[in-house]
Amino acid sequence: MYAIRTLRNQPLRLALTIGGVSLCVILMLFLISVYRGVADGSVEYIRKNTTDLWMLQCNATNILRGTSLISAGQGERVRGIAGVESVSPVLFVLAAIYNGEKHRTVFLTGYQPENDMGGPPHLVEGRSIQSDNEIVLDKSFAAKFKLNLGDRVDIQEHSLDIVGISGGTNAFVIQYAFVSLRLAREIMGFPGIATCYMINLETGYSLREVADDIRSHLSGVEVYDHETFLKNNIYEMESGFLPLLYTVAVIGAVVLTLILSLLLSVNILEKRKDFVVFKTLGSPKGFLGRLIIAQAMWISTSACIVALIVFFCLVRLLEKISPEVSTKSTVGQIIVVVAVAEIMSLISSFLSMRKLRRIYLMEAFL
Amino acid sequence: MTSCIVGIEDVSKIFGSNEHLTPVLKHVSFRAFLGELLLLLGPSGSGKTTLLTLIAGLLKPTSGVISLFGRDIISYSPRELQHMRASRIGFIFQTFLLIDSLTVLENVAVVLRFNGKSKKESYLQSRQLLGKFGIEHLAQKFPPTLSQGEKQRVAVARAIAHDAQLIIADEPTGSLESKQGFDIIRLLRKYSRDQNRCVIVASHDLRIVEYADRIIQLEDGKILPDRNNMNKKLD
Repeated sequence: MYAIRTLRNQPLRLALTIGGVSLCVILMLFLISVYRGVADGSVEYIRKNTTDLWMLQCNATNILRGTSLISAGQGERVRGIAGVESVSPVLFVLAAIYNGEKHRTVFLTGYQPENDMGGPPHLVEGRSIQSDNEIVLDKSFAAKFKLNLGDRVDIQEHSLDIVGISGGTNAFVIQYAFVSLRLAREIMGFPGIATCYMINLETGYSLREVADDIRSHLSGVEVYDHETFLKNNIYEMESGFLPLLYTVAVIGAVVLTLILSLLLSVNILEKRKDFVVFKTLGSPKGFLGRLIIAQAMWISTSACIVALIVFFCLVRLLEKISPEVSTKSTVGQIIVVVAVAEIMSLISSFLSMRKLRRIYLMEAFL
Repeated sequence: MTSCIVGIEDVSKIFGSNEHLTPVLKHVSFRAFLGELLLLLGPSGSGKTTLLTLIAGLLKPTSGVISLFGRDIISYSPRELQHMRASRIGFIFQTFLLIDSLTVLENVAVVLRFNGKSKKESYLQSRQLLGKFGIEHLAQKFPPTLSQGEKQRVAVARAIAHDAQLIIADEPTGSLESKQGFDIIRLLRKYSRDQNRCVIVASHDLRIVEYADRIIQLEDGKILPDRNNMNKKLD
């Protein structure tokens, strides 16, 4: 009771502290939800793919940060290997899409629509492409540029009808768009090449054995099973994004601790006489410490509640203002952030408690 | 037969270190007994407050022996001293030192809580005590809204709430008007006599001399001889 009433005696200071701690919690929640959104958006294309093997040029371990160019001839040679049922080439090209004067770069994915391999992981609206003058755009990209089904966009001299809107294709800094392989090759200016080949096997054949066969028949290529290729892409995405995320999240947690420590220390100094009286009257060991912890926990819990309310409003606002910023929040994420906030508040209370050591009993008589 | 609960034998207290030594108490000896109100009388700087803090175990003497409840105070562990303050000693401070963020009831109940009583029991007992003091109507008020006299009554209630055997009062009338001051000192004397408790009051206020059972005069850290026969007059 004392712990909370003392804090309430300074409503402005308390509000500012809760506000500051809330901002730190919002920052952490936001970073993690963006990370989750990016993580899913970046690799959803691969995760949802049902192919057995991925063949890329040597040294390219993923499609996010690697260059791979494989000729159509090599693709054809794969078809002849025992156990290979189907081979589907996919070409990734960074291309600028024009909508009137405005333009924006997309991760253009060229695939063979007739094979039904390499297309959008799922469609939110419309259908897949059926011809060379059609395109499927990412949901957030379409929302950002106010593009709808039936609208037209231009890539180089090609005018394309938007026939579908896809989900799980937002990689934060760039979004996927899907066109025919033929068109992608024309845009790139190199006919007969692909970034990778998706290979499906006949039943009964071992992934490892077929992969080894491909490696021995073709030089300069690497073959990955689906799980390994997914892991490679997740690793690339995380290695590029996680350090930044961790740095900012740690800064948020440290700022939270400092804000709380400052408030608690000021409170101890201001209420020094109260603490002296408690001590003189025979407060049990740990009583004053528990007061400080109670204050810290109360502030951080209040701040977490405020942060959660603000965060969900902010996410909704962000979806409207900047739909390409993909966020995803789970109960697990929220629990982790709240737990971190509570742990940091506990640490801040321990930091502040050092001030209690300098409170002397005889001060009550001064 | 009255029993001695505080024994001061040849106690000195020196503050500071090296060249800056300040002797505050010089070879002080006396005893305090249950059932009496002992007045430590002396001007500001005479060492009264230091003596009170030594008796309460808040400071340690530089030399000499202080026995409290029959044991040398040095032999008490910090935990025992804390427990003793929570269960056997009551404090009244010059500026009351009530906790502004707690209600009057909570201010009184806090010592009972420190003494290990349950919240319910502490509140019930505190309410009864406030009733005895005629201030039950103040139970839910906060100290800043009280008058000086009311604050001092709450401070006395807090000091005796846990049935302390020893009450240590530092200038209890210092912040009060004469009438309020007399009321408080009468209250303390009544408590010492009715409950057979020891009350040690440090004050420079000569007006309260007549309420004391015994007077010890301090000046410059020393006990003065009873030249004015103050203690005889009291008899």
